[in-house]
Amino acid sequence: MADAPALSIRDLEVRYGAVPAVRNLSLDVGKGEIVGLIGPNGAGKSTTLHAIMGLVSARSGIVKLDGHPVLGRKPESIAHRGMALVPEGRRIYGDFTVEENLRLGLAARRGRYGKDVLAGAYELFPVLRDFRKRQAGVLSGGQQQQLAIARALVAQPDVLLLDEPSLGLAPSLVDDVFAALAEIREGGFAVLLVEQRAQRTVALADRTHVLSNGELRLTLGPDDAGDTEKMVAAYFA
Amino acid sequence: MRRLLEPVVQFLAPALLVVGVGIGSTLVSSSNEIYFLNALVSVAIVVAIYVFIGNSGVLSFGQMSFVAVGAFAAGILTIPLESKTGVLPELFPLLRDHTIGNVASLLLGAAAGGAFALIVGLPLMRLSGLAAGIATFAVLEVTHNILREWTKIGPGATTLSLVPETTDAVQATVGALVVIAAALAYQRSRLGRRLRASREDPAAARGVGVNVHRERLWAFTVSGALAGFAGALLVHLLGSITTEQVYLELTFLTLAMLVIGGLTSLWGAVVGALVVSALDSFLIEAEQGVDLGISLDLPQGTRLIFLGAIMALVLIVRPSGLTGGREFRLTR
Amino acid sequence: MTATVYAAVDAQTLADAVGLGAIYALMAVGIGLVFGVLRLVNFAYGQLIMAGAYTLAFTAHWRVVWSIVACFVVVVALSLLMDRAVFRPLRGASPAVMLVTTFAIAFMLQAIALLVDIRDDTIGEIATSIAPLNQPTTIQGVDVRKITIVAVVVAAVSLALVALLLLRTTIGLHMRAASADFGTARLLGVRANRVIAFAVLLSGLLAAIVSVMLTVQFPFVGPDFALRDTIVVLVGVVVGGIDRLWTATLGGFAIGFTTGVINGALPTEQTVFLPSAVFALVILVLLLRPAGLFAWGRGAVERV
Repeated sequence: MADAPALSIRDLEVRYGAVPAVRNLSLDVGKGEIVGLIGPNGAGKSTTLHAIMGLVSARSGIVKLDGHPVLGRKPESIAHRGMALVPEGRRIYGDFTVEENLRLGLAARRGRYGKDVLAGAYELFPVLRDFRKRQAGVLSGGQQQQLAIARALVAQPDVLLLDEPSLGLAPSLVDDVFAALAEIREGGFAVLLVEQRAQRTVALADRTHVLSNGELRLTLGPDDAGDTEKMVAAYFA
Repeated sequence: MRRLLEPVVQFLAPALLVVGVGIGSTLVSSSNEIYFLNALVSVAIVVAIYVFIGNSGVLSFGQMSFVAVGAFAAGILTIPLESKTGVLPELFPLLRDHTIGNVASLLLGAAAGGAFALIVGLPLMRLSGLAAGIATFAVLEVTHNILREWTKIGPGATTLSLVPETTDAVQATVGALVVIAAALAYQRSRLGRRLRASREDPAAARGVGVNVHRERLWAFTVSGALAGFAGALLVHLLGSITTEQVYLELTFLTLAMLVIGGLTSLWGAVVGALVVSALDSFLIEAEQGVDLGISLDLPQGTRLIFLGAIMALVLIVRPSGLTGGREFRLTR
Repeated sequence: MTATVYAAVDAQTLADAVGLGAIYALMAVGIGLVFGVLRLVNFAYGQLIMAGAYTLAFTAHWRVVWSIVACFVVVVALSLLMDRAVFRPLRGASPAVMLVTTFAIAFMLQAIALLVDIRDDTIGEIATSIAPLNQPTTIQGVDVRKITIVAVVVAAVSLALVALLLLRTTIGLHMRAASADFGTARLLGVRANRVIAFAVLLSGLLAAIVSVMLTVQFPFVGPDFALRDTIVVLVGVVVGGIDRLWTATLGGFAIGFTTGVINGALPTEQTVFLPSAVFALVILVLLLRPAGLFAWGRGAVERV
């Protein structure tokens, strides 16, 4: 199974009541890859991530994590199997310290760990070390995003899901986030990135799928980043 | 045609049940008659409580206060004048020197309940959720305490007796029908609909201009008036009343009836009241030994166990109640 | 009037009030822990204490130590059973349904207790073995019952241990996270069932402790044992602020202390309308600060 993708989705279908939110969705994410998922608002991007993570129930489909089927399991079980989600809006515990937030991320970590288990997180985002005893609520938006990503990484997942990490951030901070994602790819993680910033995502990711009205319309490569016509066509297909 | 038919059907369904029970009460032995009449008065109480809780979605533990106020007001003012000074020596002269008739006492009960509800509701309707639950519970406690200790307005801790037992089959049935009709009229009116909108989504309702506080206050007042009316029916059924009879246990019982029937519909309130009353009556009989082919003799006090257990079970298995919380419909 | 009250609030009354406040604080924590993870107000919490009291009464002929152990076993077992049979199926139900169901369970358990109790044809059992702790002792000229001292010490130690657990251990961190935002906690791998079971266990242990301390002071055990206290504590918890554990605890202590002081200060004839005064005050506080007296910040933000 050495070549099986870290995350494999086949024919995912999610409904809200009678309304289908996601249909026939199939994609793969391999280790050391970033796969982007872009599309207009309401296209079903967040729903896809929530379904994979077990937060909403899917009608049908197969989701495999390292070859093991996980669709329909409880979120904490999926987390323990090696999938981590950085949710939309970050969902930081503002009243807890930065360090406590990171320690929460350890809940899903498999295997033993030593006292300096958080060192890697502090190395990736040094500002977190400076603020580690402070309440997470005093961090700025960009810093909170870093905390949210670090918190997910601390669990050493095989697959990292991100839901609009650049939402509400100033352009320079967006740069930081995307740079961090590139580093994370170097680290061998499999990353599924849901984003609004289409162009930057297409440029960064190994491939980017365009989701519209719940269905995959198009797949773009990094070379398509400059091709505005193609992007517009994809969005409004 | 369907639109005109709907309110008629929604009234007739519970009305027929109620009339059926009323007729039934005249056909059974006099020792069983009390169960039937009690069931009808329960319907009145539960529907009154439903008018507020069902329409607003706010859980109130204090509605029994209005039943109490109605019961005591009606009771005290219908005791024959000759006996009153002997039985209740410390009463205020206004209460001691006057006596009114049966129907007047029912109206007085409604007025007293409604007025009390209005006064209490003015400040309290701003609250929701747990705060509302505790605050309304506090109202129940205050009412109980004052009624129990203030001998100038009532019998205090002693039983209020010698009340004329004017709630017979006719009064009970008509009384229940009146409460049902009033509840239906309210919930179908603009007032009721606005309140139900706020129950589903308070923010959205405010967004379209619904004054949630005022709508809740309306429901609370109507509920209080109907509860007071039901209280008057109750005191005329029993011929007596104590503060403990309109306190925690009856609160639990009527809440159970409403929840088991279905919190959000009038049909649910009526069905719940009748079903649980029937069950309760059966259990009371069983506690004294009953013969169902096999002899069933339950020890004293078990009925609350069964009621509690059944209530919990219904809530776990079918939280929307026996009726699913919907009104009666002819078509599926 | 004030002079009379002052004179009546002697050291004895204060000591008793602190003792009562301490016990109520423990109950508040027990209720608050379960509310935190389940968003469920357990009306039947008092029944756990009642069960413990009955256990002490029925084992009154045992050695005290074993009697207390039995009490703990029964209370914790009942607590876990309540979670399994009632709380778990109710997860995700509306607050109204949860409230009314625990209300029903409370009545049901009371009735069961009555059934068990009445087999000897009397209502009430007496827990004789631990009553001796109710003896007074004199400290610096003030008569204080031993149990009051024990209650305060035990409560303080228990609260400190709970605080330590919540703030310094991993499971405590998980519980706090679950209370603040359960969904995100599960995302991060916090196991829902484990955290809930732990909260229920802790809550049961606290109920058992309270059970012992109350039974010492009130050895006559009936089916309505601790019912009044539970209602008062619930009110105190909501008034203090149920959203956070420390505001809930403070509310429990405050209402216990206040009740103790007023009960001790006023002569009996004047206390008949005391419940009205207290509950009127509760209404006032809730109107002014619906989120709780000690809750800071945005004021009227309704959680439930």
